[in-house]
Amino acid sequence: MSVFMDLNLSYTADRDALQSLIESAAHLGFSTVAINYVFEPTAKKKQEIPTPTPISELIDQLPIVQGRSRPIRVLNRLTIVMSDSSHFRPNAAEYRSFDLLALQPTTEKLFHAACMLYDVDIICISVTEKLPFFFKRAPVNGAVDRGLVFEVSYSAAIRDSTMRRYTIANAISLMESCKGKSVILSSAAEKALEIRGPYDVTNLGLLFGLSDGDAKEAVSSTCRSVLLHAVSVLRDQEDGQWDHLHHEELQ
Amino acid sequence: MVRVKSRYLLCELVVSDRSRLLLLDDRAIALAVKAAVARTHGDYGAALCSVGFSVKYLNAHTGIVFLRLPKRCYRLLWSALPFITSVETRGQRIPCFLNCLHVGGTIRTCQKFLIRYNAQQLHRMLPKCKNEEEKQQVRQAILSCSLTRGNNEALEDELGGEEEDEEE
Repeated sequence: MSVFMDLNLSYTADRDALQSLIESAAHLGFSTVAINYVFEPTAKKKQEIPTPTPISELIDQLPIVQGRSRPIRVLNRLTIVMSDSSHFRPNAAEYRSFDLLALQPTTEKLFHAACMLYDVDIICISVTEKLPFFFKRAPVNGAVDRGLVFEVSYSAAIRDSTMRRYTIANAISLMESCKGKSVILSSAAEKALEIRGPYDVTNLGLLFGLSDGDAKEAVSSTCRSVLLHAVSVLRDQEDGQWDHLHHEELQ
Repeated sequence: MVRVKSRYLLCELVVSDRSRLLLLDDRAIALAVKAAVARTHGDYGAALCSVGFSVKYLNAHTGIVFLRLPKRCYRLLWSALPFITSVETRGQRIPCFLNCLHVGGTIRTCQKFLIRYNAQQLHRMLPKCKNEEEKQQVRQAILSCSLTRGNNEALEDELGGEEEDEEE
């Protein structure tokens, strides 16, 4: 049995909904999930980056993963929707409290900069609108060399039919440029009914243009490599959770 | 040799509200799957679905569904299953989703997997039992798991009863 991870569960202020979401993920067999805080800075007023609530406050007892004997591991993740290069400040202090960092660029220049320069782990491909730019081989290959991954989320496709078309179109154009490697699939689920089991997500990968082996990797080993990349960048030295991960992975 | 091969998909129907599961029947599930396949793959999908597809078994207490799909196109039909968001039955719409547990070539292999899976579920339920009597019942059920028909049904009743108790 390989390790399945879902690295994008939307944060909602409703504790019960979040709790049932995590329990549902554990029931389906995901051994690691990440709660995603989306930060979308607008030019008008200065907004603060949200601080993550500690896991122990969110849920009392972590449910045990289906098919294993360990409880599910919950991480924190920040996604910054960038429309301007000033939105992302490298090495800001607030980023330290998150385990994973993700960027969602909205223009071609930002995409290029994010792939080559910025210090993040995941680059999100937007699924709710037609992509205004095409993927070029150069930044994509640069990102793959640095260890970044591209993320496609599928819950918009489940909610709405027009979104389905955009999701599949954007995903297929991504696969053409990156040849199916370094891709992760995740839900951006807000409710417990929007998440899908790992084998179903693997099958969705086939719809997006991945091959069989690549689709399974997109849910398991590529996600694990993202976590290792985040650890290796030494971004979060103070967080006790990462020391635990370090020991586990290195054994 | 000439033998019609098919794939049996073992799925679990996950609902937020367990009591409404009992209202479901296999025709409602079949309709929901056909509608989803038609929405995702259009007329081609609808045509594929009309030939080899059927719902072989549905357990309303635990939410286990057996689907039979033809071997040549089971991946295509399977890829439409994540898009099911609700099932309509008797005028009510129940929000749910299908989680695929196992794909097998024959019903017997799926049954073997289901027995192991049910035993795992009972193991998971053991720490949550509220009193000693329930614990005894669960242990009995685990010990009596086997492939003979009578015991299988007893196991499923136990599972259904335990899960209803757990939700209260």
